[in-house]
Order: sequence, then C-alpha cells, then structure tokens
Amino acid sequence: MVDIIWGTVTKIISINSFEMKVSHQKDTNGDSYQDIEEIHFTEIDIPSIPVDESSRDVSQIEQNLKDKFVKCEISGRNSENRLVCAVSHSGAGGY
Amino acid sequence: MWTTQIVRGPSNFDYNDLISGKIPALIIPDVLSKSICASLSNKILNLNSITSIPRISKKIGTSISSHIYKKSKYFSNAKISNQSLKNIFSENDSPIDVMQQTISKVFEKQMFTANENGMTYSYAMIRIHEHGDSIHLHRDNSNFEMSEYGISDLNNQLSAILYLQSPFHGGKLTIYDKMWNKNDEQMRCPEFGYSSDLIKNTSQKKIPPITGNMVVFNPKLYHKVESVIGIKSRITLGFFFGEMSKNYFCSWT
Repeated sequence: MVDIIWGTVTKIISINSFEMKVSHQKDTNGDSYQDIEEIHFTEIDIPSIPVDESSRDVSQIEQNLKDKFVKCEISGRNSENRLVCAVSHSGAGGY
Repeated sequence: MWTTQIVRGPSNFDYNDLISGKIPALIIPDVLSKSICASLSNKILNLNSITSIPRISKKIGTSISSHIYKKSKYFSNAKISNQSLKNIFSENDSPIDVMQQTISKVFEKQMFTANENGMTYSYAMIRIHEHGDSIHLHRDNSNFEMSEYGISDLNNQLSAILYLQSPFHGGKLTIYDKMWNKNDEQMRCPEFGYSSDLIKNTSQKKIPPITGNMVVFNPKLYHKVESVIGIKSRITLGFFFGEMSKNYFCSWT
C-alpha cells in the first residue's frame, strides 16, 4: 500500500513540482510527513494540465493547482528531497 | 437577528441581501400542493416497480461535483438522467418547470437550463435521505474548482431546494453565517466537505423541510443537513442557478 497525504497547494515551483501544506495523512502510512512538503508529480488527473511536460508552463500549472485541495500518492523521495507522487483532486467541497 | 425571509411575490425582498448572505435564505411557501408532492414522492419511491429507470443510489440526476475533471462523462450522464427526470415528471406539470417559473416570477428574470456547445446540463437532482442519513458541512458554489465548466463563470450563484416529502423528524437544513473563501480549502475533509471547526461560534439558521416549500440560498454559505429520523424519507428536488445576464438566469446541477 502506498502512503497518501492530502492538503492544499501553496506555491508552484516548476512545471512538475509544487509546495503543499499537508492537512491529512493516511492512518496506515509507513512514514510521517512534514506540515509543508515539496511534491514532484509524475502523474496528474487534471485534463487541462498536458501530460507532455514540454507543452506545460508554470502559469498554467498555477491556474489549475494553486490553493486547490489535492491527494498525493507517494512513491518515494527524489534527490531534491521532494516527494515523488501521483497527484489527483480529492473529493469535493460540496455538491 | 439573522433570519430567513418568506416571499410570495417579486417585490418584497432584496436580492442583494440574499447574495451577500445578509439573510440566510428565502422561503417560498406552497410552491407545490401537499397532494402533488405526495403523488410525486410516491412515484419516486416506487420507481423500480413502475419504470425501468435505475435508482442511482439515493439520487436521480447528475452533479458536476462528481465529474470535476470528467466533463464529457458528465454530459453523457446528464443526458441519461435528464431523460429519467422527464420520464418521472409528466411534461405538463413538471416540478422542475414549476420551480423555474416560480424563481422567474420572484426574481423577475427569465430562467432556462444551462447548455454548453449544444449539450444540456443536468436539469435537477432528486435526493432521497433515509433514516440516519445526513449531509456533512459543505458549500456548493462552482466557481473555484469547476473551471472546466462554462457555468463556473456565472455570477451570483444560488441554490434552490423544493421539499417533496418531509421526514417524521430531523432533516433540517442548517445554514451558517459564514461564506466560503479559498483559504478554507486547508480545512477540507478528504472525501467531502469541511471540518466543523470552521463554523464554531457562528450564527446559524435551521430550516425545517416543510413539504411544498422551496428554499433559495447562497450556496457559498456553509450548510449541512441534520440526520433524518424515522421511516419516512426526506425527498428533495434541487438545482443551482446563476446570472447569465441582467435579465436571465440559467440552472444546472
């Protein structure tokens, strides 16, 4: 089972990374995580963010992710100490 | 005192008070008679036996929030659920039309169901809440995370709920005197809604689910539905609507 954290995106760092304020961690996570983590995303379920990284730009990522509540499924940490994750939107604030 | 306003016509309320949250909700009484509501509720609850329309869990209709990043799936599901709603409600006296006409009269604006690139949004949502069911604290405005959809750009979004059947006890709609803002996303619950810490010490208004009454409120105000108690379900018909232009509203779910 992969570790999962949830939280809001506070800052866009690049076309494939952002800073996140972690508000929830899965009870059965193997590791614990800081209140603020940097995420390197390898997958994302938001269609307006192109899969092809060469077609992305930071403002596009910012428009789609800044302040949003997301779910991160963690596969490890990279050399920059960022969590390597598959990112998706999580639930809904309402109907 | 933060209290609801009962309206029966276009001239006795201030639209801006509703938009700003100065009043928690408008209540429009007797939009449908109790006998028509009873007949419609009976039809909905016996749906499996009288038609082949599948009961989709405890709801009939399609919501954008279940399809935030699946727009084409939303429209294909909306097409199916709109047909189901047409089959349930006869064409001449559909309660969806009655709700739209009542809102048009009270707000003095024309109303139609939203469409986008020739595709029609979901007309409405029937929700059935049974004993023990409740809805956690949430808000429903669509102009933050639903940017894939045209209706997310509409100004002054409101929510309309018509009570088709009241439960024996419970099922009250509680509206809090607190508007959502994007910083509140830090208080989200992973699956649905928000932490109750957001509305601690906040004024609230409880609205009982009276059959035939329609409630209109700003869905940016935090709200929840209390547990239904007893064997009689709480049945509602609802949609959202917003300003298309000065004289037009359009609706969706």
